[in-house]
Amino acid sequence: MTDQSYGPTDRIKRLKRAVQAAKPGVCPERALLWTRYFKDKNNRIKNTNVQIAEALSLVLENRSIKIYPDELIVGNFSSRRVGGAIFPELHGLVVMQDIFKFPKRKTNPLEISKKDTARLLSIIPFWLPRLMALNAYESKFDAVALTINQLMGYYHFINESGGISHVAPDYENLIRVGTDGIYAKAQKLQKRSLLDADKWYFYEAVKIAAQCLGRFGERYAKVALNAAMVEKNKQRAMELRSIARVCSQVPKKGAKSFYEALQSLFFAQIAINTESLDNSVCPGRMDLYLYPYYEKDIKNKVLTREQAKELISAFSIKMAEIIPVFNEFITRIHGGMFNGQVVTVGGVGPDGKDSTNELSMIFLEVMDELRMRQPNYAARIHAKSPEKYKDKIYEIIANGANSPSLYNDGVIVPVLKKNGCKLADARNYTPVGCVEPVCQGKSFSSTDAALLNAPMMLELALNQGRRFGSFTRTGTHTMPVLQMTCIEDVQIAFQTQLAFGMNNLLTDLQAIEKANAKYHPTPLTSMLIDGCLKNGKCSTKGGATYNFSGIQCVGVVDAGDSLFAIKKAVFEDKKLTMPELVNALKKNLCDPKSRHYLLGLPKFGNDLPEVDAWTDYVIDAFKQTLKNKKNTRGGKYTTGLYSVTIHEYWGAITSAMPNGRRKGEPFAAGLAPSNGQDKKGPTATLNSLNRIDHSKADNGVNFNIKFSSSIIKGKTGRAALKSIFNTYFKRGGMQTQINVLDPSVLIEARDNPDAHPNLLVRVSGYSAYFNDLTPMMKDEIIRRTSMGV
Amino acid sequence: MPFIIMAITFDIQRFCIHDGPGVRTTIFFKGCPLRCKWCQNPESQNKNAQIAFYAEQCIQCFACQKACSFDAVIKQKTERIDPDKCTACGDCVSVCDNNALRLIGKNWKPKELLNEILSDRDFFIESNGGITLSGGEPLVHADFLSLFLPLVKKKNIHVNLETCGMFAYPEIKKILSCIDLVYYDLKIMDPKTHKKYTGASNTEILKNFGKLVNDFPALQARMPVVPGINDSDENISRTAKFLKKYKKSSIHLLLFHNMGQAKIQRINADIKPFEIKSDSDKALKSAKQRFEQEDVNAIIYD
Repeated sequence: MTDQSYGPTDRIKRLKRAVQAAKPGVCPERALLWTRYFKDKNNRIKNTNVQIAEALSLVLENRSIKIYPDELIVGNFSSRRVGGAIFPELHGLVVMQDIFKFPKRKTNPLEISKKDTARLLSIIPFWLPRLMALNAYESKFDAVALTINQLMGYYHFINESGGISHVAPDYENLIRVGTDGIYAKAQKLQKRSLLDADKWYFYEAVKIAAQCLGRFGERYAKVALNAAMVEKNKQRAMELRSIARVCSQVPKKGAKSFYEALQSLFFAQIAINTESLDNSVCPGRMDLYLYPYYEKDIKNKVLTREQAKELISAFSIKMAEIIPVFNEFITRIHGGMFNGQVVTVGGVGPDGKDSTNELSMIFLEVMDELRMRQPNYAARIHAKSPEKYKDKIYEIIANGANSPSLYNDGVIVPVLKKNGCKLADARNYTPVGCVEPVCQGKSFSSTDAALLNAPMMLELALNQGRRFGSFTRTGTHTMPVLQMTCIEDVQIAFQTQLAFGMNNLLTDLQAIEKANAKYHPTPLTSMLIDGCLKNGKCSTKGGATYNFSGIQCVGVVDAGDSLFAIKKAVFEDKKLTMPELVNALKKNLCDPKSRHYLLGLPKFGNDLPEVDAWTDYVIDAFKQTLKNKKNTRGGKYTTGLYSVTIHEYWGAITSAMPNGRRKGEPFAAGLAPSNGQDKKGPTATLNSLNRIDHSKADNGVNFNIKFSSSIIKGKTGRAALKSIFNTYFKRGGMQTQINVLDPSVLIEARDNPDAHPNLLVRVSGYSAYFNDLTPMMKDEIIRRTSMGV
Repeated sequence: MPFIIMAITFDIQRFCIHDGPGVRTTIFFKGCPLRCKWCQNPESQNKNAQIAFYAEQCIQCFACQKACSFDAVIKQKTERIDPDKCTACGDCVSVCDNNALRLIGKNWKPKELLNEILSDRDFFIESNGGITLSGGEPLVHADFLSLFLPLVKKKNIHVNLETCGMFAYPEIKKILSCIDLVYYDLKIMDPKTHKKYTGASNTEILKNFGKLVNDFPALQARMPVVPGINDSDENISRTAKFLKKYKKSSIHLLLFHNMGQAKIQRINADIKPFEIKSDSDKALKSAKQRFEQEDVNAIIYD
């Protein structure tokens, strides 16, 4: 049921096929070259900023260079068509626990040759004592405790221990002035900082980083030129020569054309992903900052709309070649080989006027045509978004593209402004990673710094600070349930455990924050974020204009529904006493009668104000624990209501909850109702969602909603879809991700993975191939209520 | 004290997008003058509340037996309620934690029902949607509707009435000023066949149609296409002629499916299982073709 009159070109079809057919694998180059640099004793005495910049140079200058057939946009993140790198100084050693399992494991198998395995094993002894998490604490005892906590991750999980990234760089500036421009600026500032060693070294490192990025492009120019000379196909030879011309220009110099702008951006994308954590490096508002190049080229008749679209498609496919390498444990938390490279279209511009343009429409067509796991496409919507733009969005969603996810300027701009961002900067936001809004080019917000397990805090509150069945107190002491006589007693215990848990989280997080600043500055990333050059300070030290850190409250709906259940079952209906309830939970609700009773109690997402209020309460309680807390970069800790895929892992290890969820079953994802508990259809769910003030979640909300394709088909379905989300956004909804699929397709895909090798589903803030998910995650996706069936 | 008028519904469904324009809340009233053998909602027929038994949910704890004051619980795996004894008081439902016993039928006062449907008013306004009165036969509750609908209209909400056409004409006159759209079922043209399959002759239904066309222009004819029952050339051509006589140029054709059959067992309905094996999709498409041969615009709802 599509009215589309477009489709990918043959070249794009071939490129897509080649990338989708490639088996993902591990590339050892980054790890080995990084090691070579740090093993050299001469390098070890250098300033850390300079070390990182030089190590990055070494990698970019020596990694293998490839230009694949049909390519227009070039640059390879790894030596494989689809591949990932190991970061031995960050989470690399943890990841390498799986080194022998990579090819054989069920979820996200990765190819690796025997030779590469051996080479990677050989660097472990060097890095073991240099592991950042181990060096984060002064005391070795604390360091080991932190490392163990990270490995188990029961109460909280510190993502920053693998590096930070999560940035929407100032690509507008890079494209315009080139690395030469940045180099010149750093040079000028360095001359003024002769007396400040920290600043001087920082500028020195930026200069090295800028130069090495510029040279990276030149390497491709050479390879393309050589290839052109031996290429027999005249057409291809011409293409290779134009690739050579483009790469000899960018990223070193400012881009003069749309083609050069895209190529410049992609080289930077590779370099930032190489410098630190290869996660959530986000091009952001490409339709906005690339438009001047597009407009000029169209006007001068050197580019057609079709050519521009082919270039964007080629770029989009390149983004899918970059994958993260995780071990099985991290995969449970960040499933689906997802690395959060957000590209955003639409929304208001810095001047407050609608910025939607022809490129926005081209990007929407590309999303519909490609449907690949990366980039993570987002579309901004505001009160005056053109109807044509919105119609197109709902059309491609209804077609089953599962992209883009939608963001509401009406909520997000005021939130950022309230947090101290200038209005023009707030208007220039883009989501990064999953769903976290940041000011493009100006913000170094470690948006996915850490996550907290909220239902676990309730488990501790129901057992005087101990896990069910445990003698050791891992929480803090609170009132025994025997003495609890009203719901307020439970609330006090919960709030106390939450505050204690947050305190532990922040202690670990801040140690890691400092360690990142000390051991792993990121000069390349910093030179692409406004403020760092001016302040002469790395982004990890707080050089950026805006510095936030995001902490996610995971399981917020499970905790809310559980508190409501306690109030209703114990204190109002008196169906159970507190000790009876806790005993049933300790036995994992093995008695079906009590389980069904608890499951049958009203739940969030059914348009019931008295129930929804409890989810709201958990959000408030969580925010209270972050009040007035500052990160070590001088910024605020913000609250995120999304869960990536950790709701599945934490659901597996957190005890049964009063909402009827048993241990082993996933929590509700983000701010969505619990699995199968949204029983009154999407309008009721949206009413519940709108009852929560989304602006409380200054680090973003993830609200997944699934529709059966049979309901949303045709014009009627699309119109209905558009109208209910218009309403949701008008009333203060911040974000949504709409999945339109036929459940039978998913069941078939689960039972026979070969039947649908490239079936794309929305997971939590991003899209993933269904076959890339763990069996449990697959089941969860299937279970999520298929609304309207 | 004033006499309180209430109506009974068996379901209220939100986000209905095929029961009229925009996003709608459909109210399924309970009680119907017809007994169509193919009825999709057998629980809609009886005007009184009923207890439905979902055998597959039951864990056979028989708490229901203890709770029942009327000795209406049968201690069996597949059957539970004795309809002759049951008063649908709901005591068994409230002790059933597994949701195996469900009370079908909820009574509403006009204001309560208004509050219920107002929850989605924002969506109605945004999408030019509203509420759809369905059933059962909503006009069984005409007195209630004459109180309820003025309240709805005051809130600026679009109202669509779905009717089987079997009503006393003055009943619909009372509420016509509060209705924006009527979906009117024309099932079978031959009075005898109509009686055979629905339990009543269609004389009244066709007569009402003629009157309503005059009084109310926004009337849309509909027909559930039941393979082998009403999709014959003869019935379609008679229906088309009937429509043309009243200057109606279109009909909505509804897909038949056997979903209602599963519900029959659960509630001891008045009708017996009635299975149609032929391909109802095909029947729908060929009915559309034949209507169009007769110059009637047929729109498919599947």
